[in-house]
Amino acid sequence: MGSLPGRSKVISLFRSFLKTTRVYMDYNVREYVKRRTIDAFRQNRHLSDPSAVASAFNDGKSQLSVAKRQAVVYYLYTPTVNCESVNVLHLSNNWTIVLD
Amino acid sequence: MYKLQTVHVQVPAEHNPNANLPNRENLITATMASKHLATSIRRFFRKPPAGTTLIHRHSLSTAAVAAAIEPLEEDSNGVTMKGVKISGRPLYLDMQATSPVDPRVLDAMLPYYLSRYGNPHSRTHLYGWESENAVESGRAQVAALINASPKEIIFTSGATESNNISTKGVMHFYKDKKRHVITTQTEHKCVLDSCRHLQQEGFDVTYLPVNPDGLVDLEKLRESIRPDTGLISVMMVNNEIGVIQPMEEIGKICKEFNVPLHTDAAQALGKIPIDVDTMNISLMSLSGHKIYGPKGIGALYMRRRPRIRVEPQMNGGGQERGIRSGTVPTPLVVGFGAACELAMKEMEYDDKRIKALQERLLNGIREKIDGVVVNGSTEKRYAGNLNLSFAYVEGESLLMGLKEVAVSSGSACTSASLEPSYVLRALGVDEDMAHTSIRYGIGRFTTEGEIDRAVELTVNQVEKLREMSPLYEMVKEGIDIKSIQWSQH
Repeated sequence: MGSLPGRSKVISLFRSFLKTTRVYMDYNVREYVKRRTIDAFRQNRHLSDPSAVASAFNDGKSQLSVAKRQAVVYYLYTPTVNCESVNVLHLSNNWTIVLD
Repeated sequence: MYKLQTVHVQVPAEHNPNANLPNRENLITATMASKHLATSIRRFFRKPPAGTTLIHRHSLSTAAVAAAIEPLEEDSNGVTMKGVKISGRPLYLDMQATSPVDPRVLDAMLPYYLSRYGNPHSRTHLYGWESENAVESGRAQVAALINASPKEIIFTSGATESNNISTKGVMHFYKDKKRHVITTQTEHKCVLDSCRHLQQEGFDVTYLPVNPDGLVDLEKLRESIRPDTGLISVMMVNNEIGVIQPMEEIGKICKEFNVPLHTDAAQALGKIPIDVDTMNISLMSLSGHKIYGPKGIGALYMRRRPRIRVEPQMNGGGQERGIRSGTVPTPLVVGFGAACELAMKEMEYDDKRIKALQERLLNGIREKIDGVVVNGSTEKRYAGNLNLSFAYVEGESLLMGLKEVAVSSGSACTSASLEPSYVLRALGVDEDMAHTSIRYGIGRFTTEGEIDRAVELTVNQVEKLREMSPLYEMVKEGIDIKSIQWSQH
């Protein structure tokens, strides 16, 4: 099963998820990834059983590779116009890539 | 769940039309390894040219066909289509019509379009074997969501095809002994149309009325069962008003009278817990694109104990146990299976979230305007479907003003015609209220910001229309509209 992931590894996994959201061009998917990551990590915060911790960490790592791959795919197929949904022109964060 | 495989792709520069793009391998390893995913992508890809671009959606078709289809004009200022200009893509609040494909589902499907493209019925080589494995694991994932066995799942092209096989197939198989079908007035168009086809062939069909809250009356159902009833078809979650029928009670009645029960669970799959054994369901239609899966795939659940038989509607090579011949589309099945597995994991989380969003939407609208009626039962409903009618407002003009929100009035199948939806008519809703009904669909990807914006837009539009309406002025003065004698000229 390998060594248990330490606290820093878990935090770096969390940060990697949030970094993929910089690339997601679709507003809905981006918000979903952010929200789901935060909620999933929060839910698993109190796991103490080593096998449960390891399996949750491995699950997280495989989901991260899915998120990274899909970030590339979504980027490749963005519509060329300012693709934000109408409402969020005033809601989008500063660190979104906007094509011009 | 889905392992990243190393792909060694050598693309020599002279054969590569996009010679300025780097080697794929570099890109993938860079994005996987780089700490700065965003900068690595920016470095590798050039930005598309600025300014006006005309996008032809069907760019591979002939020029004549392309000319006949209106191109979507997109420029840096917004989108213009059908004479309406909006500054971006609308908010999507029409989850009952279809749902976006979840990225995790797309990730599962792509390998089967790129490298594992075999036909699952080819028995002689690796391509066939791996496709068949994928189809069988997809089947197991779908079956697990409804507590069925994988042997009971038949893949079809969608819930419409499954509904057709269930209604017409069952009745044609048992046509010597059973001549009667019972269904409700609020079923999906495909079920009602199949029943009408059966009527033309000489079968008897009873269309049960529903109560004003949308639920089936169990006593009337019991009374209408005859000795020669061959099928009872009741949809689990209505696509227009979102009410959840009491499937367990209906299943008990069907078991008592030994009549097969068919249900259209396209809107219910993955959203409410379904158990085919406790509900005593014999046939169930499932759809892929309502649970964040791909379009073009569905399934039919057919009970094996006691066995229900159908006459196939598609003849051919005998695939899918002879019930639905035709090559099974591996990528779509894999996507459907992945969507079902995700739905099982995320059902509780999504349900909690969608209930909160529905309350936010309803309370937000009700705080600002009155005369808002929820169509259908408020307790027995699926939270993600909210069908509202606004009094003293004209429906078409309300929809015209809501172009920045993608909502629907009536179901997608019937929104082309000008008639008010037959479902609302079956509920006994007045015709003017039926015309102003709007259906909001909330899903996994909807955010609070979108709900707030939808509330704002709806309230603005309704207030604007009511201000212009003389009927509303009269109501505010206290005149009862129904008692007015309109004079003839």
